[in-house]
Amino acid sequence: MHIPDGYLSPQTYIPLFGVFVSVAAVAVKKVKDEVSARNIPYLGMAAAFSFIIMMFNLPVPGGTTGHAVGSAVIAIIFGPWAAMLAVSVALIIQALVFGDGGITAIGANCFNMAIFMPFTAYYIFKLLSKNTTGKSRISFAAFISGYLSLVMAAILTAVEFGIQPLIASTPDGKALYCPYDLSIAIPAMAIEHMLLFGIVEGIITAIIVNYFLKTEPTLIYAFRNRGKNE
Amino acid sequence: MENKIPSYLLQSVNDQPALLKAKGARLSFLDKTIMNSATAVKSIYVQAENASKENFIQRINPHVKLILLIYVVLIISIVGHPEAQLIITAFIFPLYIIARLKIFEVYKKIFFLATIFGFIVVLPASLNIITPGKIIFNIVTINKPLHFWIYTIPQNIGFTENGFKVVALIFLRILNSVSFAMLIVFTTSFPSFIKSFKILGVPDTFLMIISLAYKYIFILSRTIEETYFALKSRLSGNIKNKRIRELISGRIFFIFKKSMIIYESTYYAMVSRGYQGKVLLHSQKKLTAIDFVTLIIVVALGILIIYL
Repeated sequence: MHIPDGYLSPQTYIPLFGVFVSVAAVAVKKVKDEVSARNIPYLGMAAAFSFIIMMFNLPVPGGTTGHAVGSAVIAIIFGPWAAMLAVSVALIIQALVFGDGGITAIGANCFNMAIFMPFTAYYIFKLLSKNTTGKSRISFAAFISGYLSLVMAAILTAVEFGIQPLIASTPDGKALYCPYDLSIAIPAMAIEHMLLFGIVEGIITAIIVNYFLKTEPTLIYAFRNRGKNE
Repeated sequence: MENKIPSYLLQSVNDQPALLKAKGARLSFLDKTIMNSATAVKSIYVQAENASKENFIQRINPHVKLILLIYVVLIISIVGHPEAQLIITAFIFPLYIIARLKIFEVYKKIFFLATIFGFIVVLPASLNIITPGKIIFNIVTINKPLHFWIYTIPQNIGFTENGFKVVALIFLRILNSVSFAMLIVFTTSFPSFIKSFKILGVPDTFLMIISLAYKYIFILSRTIEETYFALKSRLSGNIKNKRIRELISGRIFFIFKKSMIIYESTYYAMVSRGYQGKVLLHSQKKLTAIDFVTLIIVVALGILIIYL
């Protein structure tokens, strides 16, 4: 899911960076209103936690292991605006220190995994867990929110890849950036995320939400803010 | 974090005795998690150690380095000829020697990333199915072209000259971007590098969040390492999936609670030092003649590369 440098043209990464900066500015204001002066250490902690979530591996069928992107579970626990900032900070640190994701692609990666994915996951979870306290219904809502948000974010990433041959090629049709058009990028990304990575994301989201629910449900933002308009 | 790197951190993560493979594939999730946290701790240590060296590149002002990073990565992104990218590769490599970085260690990681994303993933694009053009190496010939839905398979399938150029361009672009970004990151202290984002208008609040998150990641990675070693020493045999899920979610919850405690302590420590909700980061050292000369040379080379 982390787009490296070289895959996206400036026509794609510059507007996406602009969108990311605008949404981040709104998120800083929203979160400041919610957590007041504590917002800086709180968001620092949330960012570190969202980075750390990716380190936890889980056995998956076939004898291998997988880890989650974590945006869905972070959105359910911290709320979508705090998750947006937390995941963005984690992605920026990953790109700068660990080389995961490109520098030019920071805006695109943040748009896909820190804006689109947490908001999609959070509202799917809210919709499916509405007016229920049943453990199995909440587990199902968490699984579906993790699964669908990742699959949809993967398709969004595939669209960003797939438009490159259309918007940035040489006159003789040679690709300058990602060479795969929409007919290849979308099935490739969608199938692997639908059949494997989405399931891992869903399982990890469900088990963490379940554990929080069992131990300290008040820590979960999505439950604290039931009935509020966001 | 500016001490010399402990010897155990210089070992390959796979060579450390405590990380020998767990018995059975079912417990490999433990090793992978320990390895991830160990890699994070090692990267932060190595980065801090390299940045504290007193060499020419390390002494360049972080503001200038940030401007250079953005400028050079943009140049790499818009240059569309493999030959021009090769010139950039030849320009970046000697900078690693000047910075006295462990070239083999760093380039191993750079080539790993460039090979995966710039070669393995992109290689099918060198076939005429994706990049049409003159076939220079035929792989297979079928009776007649195949058409299904929106896809067409030509009669002759092979590598094209244009396809190889596309692969070469993307490979070199990723190689150059990653190597230049790592050069800047490895030669600059992370906190001062983050502070330099002020010149781009990034609010102090956001920069403070990044700095705190960076420190928390270090602390929490160590905690994961320790808790997983403890867990590994107690586990053996065949464990049911349900138990594994409980163990992992328990560890994640523990880390969450631990991070809440750290956050509360940080907040009270900040309040006791006069924090009232606003952050003002101190400005950094002034620019020197060397900073200006470096900036002018790199900008001039960048313009030259574009017009080549």
